[in-house]
Amino acid sequence: MAVVEQTKTLSTPSPKKQQVSQSYWSLVWWKFKRNRVAVLGGILLLASYITFVLIPELVAPYDLNHTSDFTEAPPTGIHFVDADGKFHARPFVYGMEQKLDFKTRARTYVEDTTKVYPIYFIVKGDAYKLFGFIPMNLHLFGVDQEANPDAVILVMGSDALGRDWFTRVLYGGRLSLMIGLIGQILTLFFGMVLGVMSGFYGGTTDQIIQRTTEFISAIPEIPLFMALAAAIPQFWPQLAVYFMLTIILSFVRWGGLARQVRGMILSLREREYVLAAKSAGASNSRLMFRHLLPGTMSHVIVIATLAIPGMILAETALSWLGLGIRPPLTSWGTLLQDAATVRAIHNTPWELWTVPFILLTILAYNMLGDGLRDALDPYAR
Amino acid sequence: MSENLVEPLIEVKDLRVEFDVRAGIVKAVDGLNLTIHRGKTLGVIGESGCGKSMTARAILNMIPKPGKITNGKILYHRRVQSNGHGNIDDVVELTQLDPDGKIIREIRGGEIGMIFQEPMSSLTPVYTAGTHINEAVSLHHLTPVRKIGDQLAEQVMAHQKVTKEEAREIGIDMLRRVGIPKPNERVDSYPHQLSGGQRQRVMIAIALSCEPAMLIADEPTTALDVSIEAQILDIMRDLQNSVNMAIMFITHNLGVIASMAEEIVVMYMGKAVEQAKVVELFKDAKHPYTQALLRSIPKLGEKQEGSRLASISGMTPDPFNLPTGCVFHPRCPMFMPGKCDKIVPKWTKVGEDHWVSCLLYEEV
Repeated sequence: MAVVEQTKTLSTPSPKKQQVSQSYWSLVWWKFKRNRVAVLGGILLLASYITFVLIPELVAPYDLNHTSDFTEAPPTGIHFVDADGKFHARPFVYGMEQKLDFKTRARTYVEDTTKVYPIYFIVKGDAYKLFGFIPMNLHLFGVDQEANPDAVILVMGSDALGRDWFTRVLYGGRLSLMIGLIGQILTLFFGMVLGVMSGFYGGTTDQIIQRTTEFISAIPEIPLFMALAAAIPQFWPQLAVYFMLTIILSFVRWGGLARQVRGMILSLREREYVLAAKSAGASNSRLMFRHLLPGTMSHVIVIATLAIPGMILAETALSWLGLGIRPPLTSWGTLLQDAATVRAIHNTPWELWTVPFILLTILAYNMLGDGLRDALDPYAR
Repeated sequence: MSENLVEPLIEVKDLRVEFDVRAGIVKAVDGLNLTIHRGKTLGVIGESGCGKSMTARAILNMIPKPGKITNGKILYHRRVQSNGHGNIDDVVELTQLDPDGKIIREIRGGEIGMIFQEPMSSLTPVYTAGTHINEAVSLHHLTPVRKIGDQLAEQVMAHQKVTKEEAREIGIDMLRRVGIPKPNERVDSYPHQLSGGQRQRVMIAIALSCEPAMLIADEPTTALDVSIEAQILDIMRDLQNSVNMAIMFITHNLGVIASMAEEIVVMYMGKAVEQAKVVELFKDAKHPYTQALLRSIPKLGEKQEGSRLASISGMTPDPFNLPTGCVFHPRCPMFMPGKCDKIVPKWTKVGEDHWVSCLLYEEV
């Protein structure tokens, strides 16, 4: 009780503080909080960036390259009630038995109800390095591999090499989400710097930047992607290909942002505060980046949030076409590529589990972006 | 104090500023001469569009495109060194400087400050009052706070970067000096949280934070109501006395200028038409334009039934087709046909420090 009372006295705002009107960002935050959908989008994104980008090793039950004998196995059922009708508080999976139909050469899997493998949380498994430097072998959930080497848990089935599909989706999310974020940061950088310069200097600088923008945006996107992606040498290391792809994606997309920033700067640069700052001795770069650019931020944040899904989709599309990230790197695009044959859809439909993840991420970004757009104009309505 | 000593600070000589626009060339400033003395106030009055603000911006080398300084010089007597024995001045020709260069940026704000007409929009909306002041201070790398009797410390501190706490203290101190209540709270206020008068005070604080040798005040009180106007003018006078700063006070309000300036220049269509000491100008205006301006001030106790306030007849001429001869002749009540529309009047001395450009006072 004492604690509750203490917090109460602390949270009572002093009358002095109340007199000061609220700052812009606190109004924005206040309005954003009231938009449930946007907050949900934000939470979803935060959660997905943590699981997919920061700690997929911990969440996934296996290592990315962990292969098993269970190739193209359907998702294993997670049970609470065993064959005898007995309830188990700890969920379990049955052992699986592989059968080969000698006529059709098709593999089928049958649950062996005699073998019960309980699922443990925080269980020892494949070794990995958390955040790239902390050696660990704990996984969020899984079956005890030491005690039962035959046991597997395949939440979303497995692929042709017997790799856990859920694990692959988690790891694939890392590259796909990062490419969206890094690509968008690069786009923002190019778009803002060139847009500000274009609007501020005008004249020849403006002409060159605007005509370049027009030239790039006049070329259809997919062929341009294809040409640029094809220009990446085959022998390059996979990570270099990945970063090249990020740069290509942002190279094609900075133009739109640059235009919008330019338009805003054209009106902002006539404001008297620019003249005032100049008469106080501010240099051109100071005027551009300290006095003009912040005025465009609220707009840029919204544009950027709404553009990241486009980046993620572009990566997915390119990789699906085989032009972006290539195996052995795993991204959502390469996973879709695996699932994109008629044979895969017929035999291993669980490989389509990638799709809801992509959809959810993009939906979350749009929800967040829409909420931000409403919130960043707190004086509206 | 060297108050009796009249030293020139800015000398504008035959300045011409022209705008080359599609419809022709507009002469915003046309052969202007004026001198601003150290520690003195020069008032510049005239109608809208007569070139007052362009003159001010020419001094800071900030003529907007497509304007250009096509002729003339602006000499700035820059104080390089000031010690107990004497001052060493370096004459800088401001029009010859690179408008984006380092020297002019040191002069802007650091040595010649400027405040503007619109306090509502003269502060960058994303920065607090304190940030604005600190920006001005950090741009010129000096600590501006001169504590009385602390001359030695001042010399040591000049050209030294300041820490965050010091910068905040400077901001608070400047706000206190311009009379903002609760400066330690207001230093963290954003422009939209301040009233118009407070914003103009912040502007003055910014301009004064580097203790400039001259302050250009471009209609600083036009957007403010009368009581705030009086306070702002008081602050400017007090601060001028304390730091011996020259002021170029641009306005179209004759009442304000009478209380602020020692000397007044009257401008019409980019030209100076009359210059005199303030008392002399109000008592004995020579130029018909100045006389007309003075007549148009409403006076208390002189109201006559049915009479209207005197105004200057006619319209300001089209800047693309300026009248020949004296530019004021189409509106002039003393128009002399055959003379005023043919001959351009010269800058003539008509008394002690009293100059006028009118054919009435010229032997033609």
